[in-house]
Amino acid sequence: MMRIETDILVVGGGPAGLSAALAAAKAGAKVDLIDAGTQPGGQYWMQDPVGPPSTRQQAEGAAAARAAIAANVTIHSGAEVWAAFPEREILANGPAGPLAFRYRALIVASGAYDRVMPFPGWTLPGVMTPGAGQRLAKLGGTAPGRRIALAGNGPFLYAVAATLRGIGATPAMLVEAGTARCAPARLVSRHPARWAEALQLLAAVRAIRDRRRGFVVTEALGGDRVQAIRIAPISHDGAIDTTRTETISGIDALLIGWGFRPMIELTALLRCRHAYDRDVGGWYCSADAETGRTSIPGIYAAGEVTGIAGAAPARLSGALAGIAAAADLGLVTSDFAHRRAILARRLQTARAFGQALGRLYPVPESIATLVCDETIVCRCEDVRKGDIRAALSGGTKGVAGAKLWTRAGMGRCQGRICGFAVAEIVAAETGTSPEAAGFNPPRIPLRPVPLNVVLAGTREGAL
Amino acid sequence: MVKRADAIVVGAGVVGAATAAALAESGRRVLVLEQGVPGGAVSGASLACIGTHMMDEEELPLLTWCCEAWAELDRRAPRFEYNRCGQLRFLRHENERRSAETWIGIERAAGLRPELLDPAEVQAIEPGLTGPIVAATWSPDSAVVNPFLAVRTLLDVARSGSADVVSGATVTALVTRGGRIAGVETSLGRFEASIVVIAGGPWTQRLAATADVELPIVPRKAQCLATVGTRPVIRTVVGACKAEGGVDAGYTQIQQAASGQVLFNTVLEGGVTATGSPEIVPEVDRAFVRDSVDTLLFLFPALAGLDLLRSWVRYEAVTPDDRFLTGPAGPEGLFVAAGDGGTGFVRSLGMARIIRDRIDGTTPPCRDDLYDVGRFAARAAA
Repeated sequence: MMRIETDILVVGGGPAGLSAALAAAKAGAKVDLIDAGTQPGGQYWMQDPVGPPSTRQQAEGAAAARAAIAANVTIHSGAEVWAAFPEREILANGPAGPLAFRYRALIVASGAYDRVMPFPGWTLPGVMTPGAGQRLAKLGGTAPGRRIALAGNGPFLYAVAATLRGIGATPAMLVEAGTARCAPARLVSRHPARWAEALQLLAAVRAIRDRRRGFVVTEALGGDRVQAIRIAPISHDGAIDTTRTETISGIDALLIGWGFRPMIELTALLRCRHAYDRDVGGWYCSADAETGRTSIPGIYAAGEVTGIAGAAPARLSGALAGIAAAADLGLVTSDFAHRRAILARRLQTARAFGQALGRLYPVPESIATLVCDETIVCRCEDVRKGDIRAALSGGTKGVAGAKLWTRAGMGRCQGRICGFAVAEIVAAETGTSPEAAGFNPPRIPLRPVPLNVVLAGTREGAL
Repeated sequence: MVKRADAIVVGAGVVGAATAAALAESGRRVLVLEQGVPGGAVSGASLACIGTHMMDEEELPLLTWCCEAWAELDRRAPRFEYNRCGQLRFLRHENERRSAETWIGIERAAGLRPELLDPAEVQAIEPGLTGPIVAATWSPDSAVVNPFLAVRTLLDVARSGSADVVSGATVTALVTRGGRIAGVETSLGRFEASIVVIAGGPWTQRLAATADVELPIVPRKAQCLATVGTRPVIRTVVGACKAEGGVDAGYTQIQQAASGQVLFNTVLEGGVTATGSPEIVPEVDRAFVRDSVDTLLFLFPALAGLDLLRSWVRYEAVTPDDRFLTGPAGPEGLFVAAGDGGTGFVRSLGMARIIRDRIDGTTPPCRDDLYDVGRFAARAAA
């Protein structure tokens, strides 16, 4: 097992993590970065595993990784964090074996994952999240299908449309729940820095022939894989009008999702304070805007884990957390105050834009009504909505109670896929809010890890 | 919501659920008040072994009665993955043999049928147990249940009588009137009943104190690990042989749940984990993870590549002699059933029966004085 003592440990190698590592290293700290990907970059800056960067985004990510390495950041790729112990110790499982880190400060830039809501047919092959579809396209240019329907809500759908267009796989259809048209345009008009990006996304969206606004996919149909989808409009009262469904045939891939959820497992395991806001992805780690400090001394958070806002604020909040963590260790550069002020101002603008955009594309309140009693909610454990309803009417309560009696969220993914749905279903069934329904607290291990790796990581006593 | 009942049961762990079922069956309107979710505290964290093996000599008649009661519940409501898989207790060293033989002698004298097996015989029962043990005891009648579904089933039985279950109701104080119990104060308001049973595990003592009843219960950390689900690899409940001379040299339990997950824990160093506060549930500690995985792989080396999935920590309620405090306590109408000592699952049905018999004035099937709530005060006075 490799044991590493470092000043600052950064978890996550996306825009936030790489920026944090660079800023901290430049301030003079010894920095190690752990990232689950085979190459740094995260989803946003995902690198082609074989070829050189082929897009502007990939080139930007490659440059950020190079800059971090040049500043003496040690990057541990392909390593998953599985445990955090109170003695400022993190255990990870890397490609060459177990890793143990002892840090003085920790920056969590773990990012986010797709927010998923089940519906009839969602487990058919060919149905995937927009994030998964984009990953296929970014990792080696694989198109998820030949006639792709892109569905759900949020500006990320446009980014996926652009990625797919970039590999010659423009979707056949876009089904958006939102109807906002003018508001996003007004928002973008106030942020000139975003015009180029917005125009590119707009062109990608316009290239999609069949575009529906104010519609949701109510069902995926098919035998061995998805062959058609059923869509229905959202009426004025916000309900999904299933009396006016329409079937779209000839679809062989459905990319459907409702934005992202912050990946809070590590910050929650470390008992940092969290808060809930459905419009920034649900539960997120509370962090000070200027420093990234969480409620626990020595632990900082940056990027999407602090609330979904996009890559630009992720980079800025990463840089801020990096210089703050270094400064708190006594590594204060001469231009510290000045740099911090500039970064903080830019972060404020960027985050305001990202969050305002998120609020323009809310998840429909009625979305959980798509789930039928027979619909599988928890794929790992084959738990259906009817099972959850029965448990709740049998006297249990909340996400935790539903889990104990039905096993929803007890399987391999530990609720990463079904967590949003279970909370929304529990809230709808028991007349409470998704926030009050709660979430499953993460426990050690944060990711499944082989027993022999666990033993190696814990056997030799404390570091 | 019913604000008045014949009896209130505080706590919907397995003891509270069993008590509610027993009281509802004898015709009472019962209200179960649970501060969290049913089975969400130490009951749900339990490895829920239903057996008599290497437990407590004096409790053997009650344990035997309990095992039969669980089998009977399974016949009536087979919804909690009851599996009479048998139990092995492995011996790592020759010097454990005498203790094993002593236990076997005691249990056989009580009409039970444990035996001592050599490693080859052990492997015939548990093929994956290829680690270098010297022998193991075998208790063929031990069973396991799914703890969540067992609690749910007992609550279903209670509800099919005339019980209501309220989750998310924290009982803050007992209410007495003229020296008699009159109800409870909760986060949802006052509930009235002339009988209150506290089955609150490690929270029992604090609630009892609101009626000036002192109970010698301390909370103790209980930890467990689970792998991802896998094909059948473990058939029985595997534990460590209980050491001689009353000194507990540690504790191991390993089994595979119906879900395919391997559930396991090992506590070394005297077998006693740290005390703490049931309000703040911490993470598992490093040494516990190490010892548990180490012991599992010592016995089942082929599982080295299996993925660990989850860990959990709860607080069990411990009394000075490791037996329940079950029976009337303090003001008339107040009863207590708590003090699982980490093996409360099997005993829960017996504790429920004792409470019901005490309330109804009927004769219990086994002696109940072992659990007398006042036994420590009486001893101190003597």
